[in-house]
Amino acid sequence: MGGGEGRLTAGRRARPDLTTPGLLAPPLAWLAIFFLVPIGIVALYSVNVLDLLPEPHAFTWSAWHSFFSNSIYLTLFWKSVKMSLIVSALVVAVAYPLAYYLALSGTPRKYVLLLVLIAPFLTSYLLRVLAWKVILGDQGVVNTFLFWTGIRSAGHPISALLYSRFAVMLVLGYVWLPFVALPIFVSLESLDTRLLEAASDLGASRWQTFRRVTLPLSIPGVIAAFLFVFIPTVGEFITPSLVGGASGYMYGNQIVDLFGTGFPDWETGSVLSLFLLGVVAALTVVFSRFMRVR
Amino acid sequence: MDRDGVFEKRVTRSKALKVAAAASGAALLAGRGAAAEAAQFQLDAESGRLQVLDWAGYGNDGGQPMFAAYVKAHPNNKPQFTYMTNEADALAKLHAGLKPDLFRPYVGWVKYFATSGLVQPWDTSKISNFKHLNPFMIKAGQYGGKQYGIPEDWGFDAVLYRSDKVKPKAKSWGLLYDERYKGKIAWFDDPVENLTIAGLIFGFKDPWNQTDAELKQSQQFLISKKHLVRTIWSSETDLWQLFGSGDVWIALAWPNDWVQMKKKGLPVVYMHPSVGKQKPIAWVGMFMLLNGTPRPNLAHAYVDAWSSAKSGKWLEDNYGYGHSNTLARPSSSDLLRALQLTNPHAVGLPNAYLDRDVPRRAVYAKLWEEVKAA
Repeated sequence: MGGGEGRLTAGRRARPDLTTPGLLAPPLAWLAIFFLVPIGIVALYSVNVLDLLPEPHAFTWSAWHSFFSNSIYLTLFWKSVKMSLIVSALVVAVAYPLAYYLALSGTPRKYVLLLVLIAPFLTSYLLRVLAWKVILGDQGVVNTFLFWTGIRSAGHPISALLYSRFAVMLVLGYVWLPFVALPIFVSLESLDTRLLEAASDLGASRWQTFRRVTLPLSIPGVIAAFLFVFIPTVGEFITPSLVGGASGYMYGNQIVDLFGTGFPDWETGSVLSLFLLGVVAALTVVFSRFMRVR
Repeated sequence: MDRDGVFEKRVTRSKALKVAAAASGAALLAGRGAAAEAAQFQLDAESGRLQVLDWAGYGNDGGQPMFAAYVKAHPNNKPQFTYMTNEADALAKLHAGLKPDLFRPYVGWVKYFATSGLVQPWDTSKISNFKHLNPFMIKAGQYGGKQYGIPEDWGFDAVLYRSDKVKPKAKSWGLLYDERYKGKIAWFDDPVENLTIAGLIFGFKDPWNQTDAELKQSQQFLISKKHLVRTIWSSETDLWQLFGSGDVWIALAWPNDWVQMKKKGLPVVYMHPSVGKQKPIAWVGMFMLLNGTPRPNLAHAYVDAWSSAKSGKWLEDNYGYGHSNTLARPSSSDLLRALQLTNPHAVGLPNAYLDRDVPRRAVYAKLWEEVKAA
């Protein structure tokens, strides 16, 4: 390094570099104002320090205590987690071959096909969910087809197709499939293909190459994809309220109802919200350990 | 605020100055004419758009004929609507800082809001159509001898079913819990109604104020029957779609739902439960005036427009609800029969239980939420 460069560096050091803080400040402020502060407020509601109604109120853990002592809420949470896990696992399983084909088959139209994959997003989310009502109803496309083929007699439709857990999981899977395919696609596309060639040169079969090279290297994308589905669906409330019926009711619906449907119970609603947030945050931390490429 | 709102505010401010000057002169005048003019001055002095917190369908989304007379008389103070999905939602909005001039809870909430400090009584002398309103419903809008609620729309909660598919064993609420129709039943998402109906079935002394043991029994009953339920509806259009598609054959419903399903050509019966002490539950919409509103006279004028016989007939013909104006009659004789509009006590005993204050509403709501979660 020459003397001139040294002086220049020293000059730079003397003047504090505000670029990084300047760039980080707006998003951090945004996060603080619209994420951390609201969570803090919700936390205060959960312990009755804040109360919607102008009644005497004081700090209490009673809502937390009744949440953990009332098996109904925890059972509902576990039901939602199971539904979400099933959806996430199945969708990842379906999306992986799709993303694999797009990323590694060498097809020149991969970006066109990717565009086709996300084409359903050009229509409204609500419209896409409502369309399933037409397909799955007692007089819907599926049941009408079954009547026509004689598999089911006209008076005996498969009612479990709609307003059921199955309907919620089917629609959630349909809605989230493109979201899952994208991170896996990105992960596979950035794969160093020389590694695949090396595996082949060393005598590995295509299956062995996939199992020992491709899959491990794409795991971060798979985990990211899994979380992409799991996190939003475990607290989902729109889809179950449209196609879930009484049996497809999820934890997210309960939160919405506690805040607004019956008699406003923001205390319990806040507890349920924070519990969901805590579990999702913990799972994200656990999963993120697997997202590191070894 | 939108451009219209700004414009209207400017106009009314300039007008208010004229009104203030004229009011000084008016004070010197005597007689009824002067009083009427003074009232008009008061109205003119109130500025801005009237803020109404109301249910979907009652605003500029189809309910315009109900308040057309008001808009015609006060073109500079057109109503601006915020929508409420239920009373709990309204309560949350009011406490969160929304400041409407008036809003519409239903009869079971009159006492709650009257004692909450959020509302003030109406001056019924400023509502010219008040004298035509159903006296029974007027009384239901009173608390402590004051008129906190002005009754408008009303109807029943009863059981709607497909007569070609369903054969009830009795005229009973029990049809909503009939094992024979598993998967074809829809309940209504109301925190009080379902536990109350269970209480009616069990014959409890006061289904609206059940003891802890009774509430537990009602809740367990609902949880044990929930597997029969296809869905729990919360909007009428959802219910119509459920019936129309054949997904549901039995539901707790309102008179208008019966009218709409008949219009679709479906063979439906609107059954008023009458076994034992069972009866339908009647509800009445009550306009309430917010405390501290800057537009009390405009709010009275708005309610007056809603209370006219013309508005009442329109409501009955188009929405299928009853209207508290006793001069209003629907064109449909079916609806006339379903609502029993010729009976001034249609919403009371012995015909129906009028919905009422629930002292432990929060407990009911919590138990109902647990039913849904179970």
